[in-house]
Amino acid sequence: MNSLSDFVILSAFLLGIGIYGLVTKRNALRLLFAVEIMINAANLNFIAFSQYAPFAAAGATAVNGVGQTFVLFSIALAAAEAAVILAIVVVAYRIHQDVDVSELKSMEG
Amino acid sequence: MIDFLTLAIGTLAGCSLLLPLLQLVKGRDWNLSGYILAAVLASAMVMVAVFTLSPSDLPWFGSLLRGDALGGVFALVTLGVTLMVTLASLETQKGEGNPVYYSLLSFTALGMLLLSYSQDLLMLFVAWELMSLPTYVLAGFDKKLRSNEAAVKYAVIGAMSSAIILYAISLAYGLTGSTQISAVVQGFSRLLAAQSDATALASVAILLFVAGFGFKMSIVPFHMWIPDAYEGAPTTVSTLLAAATKKAGFIAGIRVLLAITTAYVVTQNPAFTMANVFAVLALVTMTVGNVSALTQKSMTRLLAYSSIAQAGYILIGFVAFSADPQSASASIGMTGSVFHVINHALMKGAAFLAAGLVIMQLRRADLGAFDGLGRRMPITAFTLTVALLALAGVPPLSGFWSKLLLFLSVSNAQFGWLALAAILNSAFSLGYYAWIIKRMYIDEADAPGRVKEPLWFVVVFAVAVGLIIGIGLFPQQAINLSSAAAAGILG
Repeated sequence: MNSLSDFVILSAFLLGIGIYGLVTKRNALRLLFAVEIMINAANLNFIAFSQYAPFAAAGATAVNGVGQTFVLFSIALAAAEAAVILAIVVVAYRIHQDVDVSELKSMEG
Repeated sequence: MIDFLTLAIGTLAGCSLLLPLLQLVKGRDWNLSGYILAAVLASAMVMVAVFTLSPSDLPWFGSLLRGDALGGVFALVTLGVTLMVTLASLETQKGEGNPVYYSLLSFTALGMLLLSYSQDLLMLFVAWELMSLPTYVLAGFDKKLRSNEAAVKYAVIGAMSSAIILYAISLAYGLTGSTQISAVVQGFSRLLAAQSDATALASVAILLFVAGFGFKMSIVPFHMWIPDAYEGAPTTVSTLLAAATKKAGFIAGIRVLLAITTAYVVTQNPAFTMANVFAVLALVTMTVGNVSALTQKSMTRLLAYSSIAQAGYILIGFVAFSADPQSASASIGMTGSVFHVINHALMKGAAFLAAGLVIMQLRRADLGAFDGLGRRMPITAFTLTVALLALAGVPPLSGFWSKLLLFLSVSNAQFGWLALAAILNSAFSLGYYAWIIKRMYIDEADAPGRVKEPLWFVVVFAVAVGLIIGIGLFPQQAINLSSAAAAGILG
């Protein structure tokens, strides 16, 4: 039987993977993957909290669907975000023939 | 009876959705869409202003929004900056003007309007994305090397900050069972009272909020994308980023972070209070901004660093507020913060647009382009002079009064060092501002001769300079408005 803490730990782990990816990778597409993993870590949190409703200490009582509603919004927004970033990366590929962000240093200072 | 705020939101939403359809009309003057957007923004501003004069604190849209004075001030500031940017774009986008460009501006304005009034983390997040996504595209609108580079950096960092905010919201929801900001605040204070183990998670959520909003507010150490994005993006878009979307970051910070600090202490450890966190961030932000600005060779980059420094000044109000929300210095500090937000939008908007006009007409962005500008482009040079002096906080310009309020609010014993550091920073920043003014009026230009200053730029400059000097001479009205707005933070 899974408990809430399993989900929260998994989600924190996913967030860690996302941040690790953002710090170490230099390929624009990999950076996008990392961001998507971070967003999905938050989504997992929302669903787990909505399901297990551990709010008693904070005074809330009933199980509520706000978290699940939030996830629907967040999935739609993440899709829009991915579309915009991919479009920008396609233009970058046309200019550089590469999607390595460490090549992007025409501005320094 | 439909109220003015709903009408303003509806008008902007309709404008955003319908403008791209103009592309289907062949052989038209594309500036038409710019004029439409300018008219829509102006009417939305009038509606929001009428609404703000007689605000009703009732919840809107199922308590997602609340029409208070704080939201009104930020909505007016962000819409006003978007209007300035739209009018300037009529000149910069001339001939290649594209309805999609104006539609994206309109979406950003709508996002900032909704964000200003948000009372629910769900609304706040959706409005945040509605504001951010169009600006990623706008930053890369030139499809040239630098513009695209700015867009890639800005979009990746922006997406990361959204993800961090989303994670923080998920923790806040998990701990309190609600996304309503007031319920989250109450829930956090109950956790604290119950000495629950979950307070550690609540503190993590607050620090994640600081990081997530900090990217938009351009707080050091979350500022690394700012100079590249502002320099590479089309200058009209940089104006929007520096003067408008950054303010939207501040309203989100005020609504969420400051509301939480009224009822919740991050740790029991007295060295790690929220006030201390904000104080250190403010100090580092203004110092790094000013020191880096001093060595810049490009005008937009210099203004970007100066914009980072100004974010540090605005944060001083946060310090005073989170130290003791009920005290007099808290209300002075937040009045100063809101007032400085208004001033900074005007000053930075004018300065960026002046720099943008020079870049557009002289086709170079280095500081050498500003040599002898006083004779070549007198109106632009005068605007830039007024804006830079106001940024430095020279009386009797508007920037002086807001800085005075901010510095006064932390002049007590506990944060006296911060007030001293801020005053030193202000004096230091006058160094590079005065250096540019000297270049414009004393140095000789390499290519003399008058350069044309387009009509819409002159109109925008006249309004901005008029407001900077006007608010400077008669600050009372603006201070009253800011203090009424600041009073709304406590709910």
